[in-house]
Amino acid sequence: MLRDSYAARGRLVMVVVALAVSIAAVTTMLAAYNVLMREVPRNYLSTNPASAQLEMDGAVSDELLSQVRNRPNIAGAEAAATVLARIKVGPNEWLPLLLFVVPNFESLQINTLEHESGAWPPPSGAMLVERSALPLTRAARNRMISIELPQAGRRSILIAGTVHDPGLAPAWQEQTIYGYVTPQSLADLGEPTKLDLLKIVVGHGAGDANAIGSTVRDLASWLNAQGHHVLEARIPPPKRHPHQAQMSAVLVMLLIFSLLALFLGAVLTASVVGGLLAQHVRQIAIMKAIGARSRQVARLYMGLVCSLGIAAVAIGLPLGLMAARGFIAIVAELLNLQIDSLALPWWVFVVTLLLGIVAPAVAALVPVMVAARRTVRHAIDDYGVSAGGQGSSWTRRALARIRVTDAASNLVVRNLFRRRTRLVLTLSLLAGAGAMFITSLNLKAAWEHAITQAVSDRHFDLELGLQKIASLERVLAVTTAVPGVVNVEPWNVAAASIGNKDGLDVVRRYPDGAHGGIVLRGAPPNTQLIAHTMIEGRWLRQQDNDAVVINTLARTSALRGAKLGDWVSLSVDHRPLKLRIVGVVRELLTPGAAYVTPGTFARAMRAVGLVNAVRIVLADREQADGVAGAIVQALEREHIGVKSVLTDKRLTAAQGGHVYILVLALGFIAAMMAVVGMLGLASSLGTSVIERTREFGVMRAIGARSGTVIRTVVGEGLLIGVLSWIVALLLSLPLSAQVGEVLASISTQELSLELSVSGAGWWLAIVLFGSTAVSFCPARQASKLTVRQTLVAL
Amino acid sequence: MTSSIGNPLIRLRDVSKCYELGARRFTALRHISLDVDHGERVAFVGKSGSGKTTLINLLTGIDSPTAGEIHVAGHAIHQMSQEELTVWRGRNVGIVFQFFQLLPTLTIVENVMLPMDFCDMFEQSQRRPRALALLRRLGIPDQADKLPADLSGGQQQRAAIARALANDPPIVVADEPTGNLDASTSDEVMSLLGSLANDGKTVLTVTHERDVDRFFTRKLTLRDGMVDGDSAGVLKVCA
Repeated sequence: MLRDSYAARGRLVMVVVALAVSIAAVTTMLAAYNVLMREVPRNYLSTNPASAQLEMDGAVSDELLSQVRNRPNIAGAEAAATVLARIKVGPNEWLPLLLFVVPNFESLQINTLEHESGAWPPPSGAMLVERSALPLTRAARNRMISIELPQAGRRSILIAGTVHDPGLAPAWQEQTIYGYVTPQSLADLGEPTKLDLLKIVVGHGAGDANAIGSTVRDLASWLNAQGHHVLEARIPPPKRHPHQAQMSAVLVMLLIFSLLALFLGAVLTASVVGGLLAQHVRQIAIMKAIGARSRQVARLYMGLVCSLGIAAVAIGLPLGLMAARGFIAIVAELLNLQIDSLALPWWVFVVTLLLGIVAPAVAALVPVMVAARRTVRHAIDDYGVSAGGQGSSWTRRALARIRVTDAASNLVVRNLFRRRTRLVLTLSLLAGAGAMFITSLNLKAAWEHAITQAVSDRHFDLELGLQKIASLERVLAVTTAVPGVVNVEPWNVAAASIGNKDGLDVVRRYPDGAHGGIVLRGAPPNTQLIAHTMIEGRWLRQQDNDAVVINTLARTSALRGAKLGDWVSLSVDHRPLKLRIVGVVRELLTPGAAYVTPGTFARAMRAVGLVNAVRIVLADREQADGVAGAIVQALEREHIGVKSVLTDKRLTAAQGGHVYILVLALGFIAAMMAVVGMLGLASSLGTSVIERTREFGVMRAIGARSGTVIRTVVGEGLLIGVLSWIVALLLSLPLSAQVGEVLASISTQELSLELSVSGAGWWLAIVLFGSTAVSFCPARQASKLTVRQTLVAL
Repeated sequence: MTSSIGNPLIRLRDVSKCYELGARRFTALRHISLDVDHGERVAFVGKSGSGKTTLINLLTGIDSPTAGEIHVAGHAIHQMSQEELTVWRGRNVGIVFQFFQLLPTLTIVENVMLPMDFCDMFEQSQRRPRALALLRRLGIPDQADKLPADLSGGQQQRAAIARALANDPPIVVADEPTGNLDASTSDEVMSLLGSLANDGKTVLTVTHERDVDRFFTRKLTLRDGMVDGDSAGVLKVCA
């Protein structure tokens, strides 16, 4: 057996490599799943995240905190505040700055931070920044940087050091800088701040949103009774990292795909062993003729298969562990995680070992048993060119009807369908890899399409948010006077929440304000600045009083289940607002929004003739940054502070981060499957060449040159490659739709199914090159067979 | 041996063939010299291991001699590379195998067309009509579009003969063409092979058939790698 195996070492090495690669993929995903599903919650829970944050209408005093801590089911309470400011990151370039005000860094118990560098706590006039935000500031530690505070205006602040806040998405993803300051520091900068946020951790039911809700309502009632009015309660999903559910979905999906690769690798093993058995048919016959029982023969070959599995695990397991480290590091960076331990539970190793051995053994059982049970007479009756594998007479005749051009070409095409099981296996491997590859680029294309669509739907070039509400007349006068500005429209904006019957506004939001939020916007009914792609109902009309048009994200998140004609209760600026849904508009890369007429907005906000956001059309979009700077300066000269400037560049940068991890992971699995697929093709062709040795002898005897033989085998490889490409293309469509849904969920955006022409083209090129490359070896091997070698007896 | 009329089609001079079998050296043919003329029908007979197949393999360029010279139709095939031999064989030698060796995925007519495709003989448009004509001549025109597995042994061997004639080679070689056939079919096949000489073909056959004289003009008996008898009466065996 050892000597026979050595004779077929090329194919067996390929099997080991294919199995090792698929085991590496499974190990990578299994290890990544284990580590990340442990480390993501650990990171998040290590901060002791607040069960809820209550926004009060006044400052939270130490005395009140003590009282709250003594309330039923309250395990902890702290005061805090957030200030939304701007930070200068370049000439005329500003980013939003979300400042978390921490009264006492030393005794911080809820939403804790991990100190990484610099002074702790930050001294007066200094702030700590979240580690993922530092590169975005384009400044170094211990450097002064310009910020603009809502009341104090422009100030300089020192970046004293960095902290890690695992509860936040990376700054580069949100294009927002997170800073941490003491109240004293802000006061010294001239920005008086009241600690109006009450963070609480509940005692029992900390993992149950309903239990938290109940505790929060009880507490809010008590606070109101004490004369402390609760404006809003923010209850994020309990004990769950903002991206935990999506991360889990993605990892499970990738794990399934890697298991699919292993399954195909196992079937490849069975196919190669089947080919080997076909070659050993005479040896088996002789063994049986001299007394070997079927079980003994089967045991020999199953031993070989298990050895291949063990060798593959020995190679694939460490490779997979290394790849997992790399993958985990990338995910950790993308999700701003600190990986404390890469330790894996023992069962991961046991499962990998079992999968590596059992999967190919189970797949090989059928061919081994069939060969072992063959009768001696049947085994030794093996002469001439075999018609084996052509199936029933019906399928043989069907095959004979396939005609291309000449007999030599017919030979190539028909040989393809001769071993259909093997063909299906090879096609599955290659098509699976191709589908993954094309899917990953389809998703990228879908994302880019969404961005392009979002940009083209916006017929404006800049959106400016003002620090404070200002005179509409003045803002319009100042902005339209700036050279390069063509048109300006007021698009007022205000944070909204869903109103509750008990008067307490509850939002399902994380501390950074992302996820689950909704904004109310005053939109000019006759606006030309956005393309209205109405999914249902209609756009706003001038005479609408209580009408609201919601966008798709609002309908799938904050206003889940809302229908056309429904009345919705919102709370805006802590005032109730009842609106009737008249339309649903499709919007891409936009937060959940509810659009009302400027009149309705002014009434709700009591802001007639005032504005806090404008959308601006420029003569030249390329000049957006420069003109934005000029507008900001012009407004500042009029003492109108600008809170945020959103250009297309920022919009796409803020949204792009979510997609990369999935594209990367799919690309990784696609690469693994492609390797297995190409090895499968090489092995399939190699086995086919060996099985058809006599045929090649006949071909050589009747005049086929080496080139002809090479063309025949390479032609078969190329045909399989092209067929797999077609199947991959077809498979990629439902796969893209399914994975697209996961991506849409991660990015909270609607994504259309896109076919990446370049992705399909690249895969075709890869498959053609790969097929040619891997079929060349068996082709050359076939071409070197002499007639005498192949036809021992003419 | 000397040719009776002009230059012989096949000329072997002092040809020997040895095989290395591990540490052992086995001599399959010893110093054979013989001539075969155009249109001769030669049957090679002898016991197993006498060297018949080795001799046929050397004549068709399937194997090369350890020593000596082989000239076929003026070509010194002992000096040719494998690639040159392939081209030469495809155009000059039609081979009929014991187990037919028809390619199972091709129909009968496609099997016959295959040598023409490989050697680029005849116009593309003429290949199928020619293949069909050959099948008609061999009595199996109705089997043209069937697969080999659908034919009987005799029909498959007829198809194999048609394939051997596809490129209209001057030499047809058959190695035990009736070894896998029943007696009556064997007669038909031998008769067919014998009749090819009427078209000017030189037919060389390795056979165990006893009454080869009915179909062949010359019987060449081999024993222990040497020519032990030649019914033509003109032979030269080197010592």
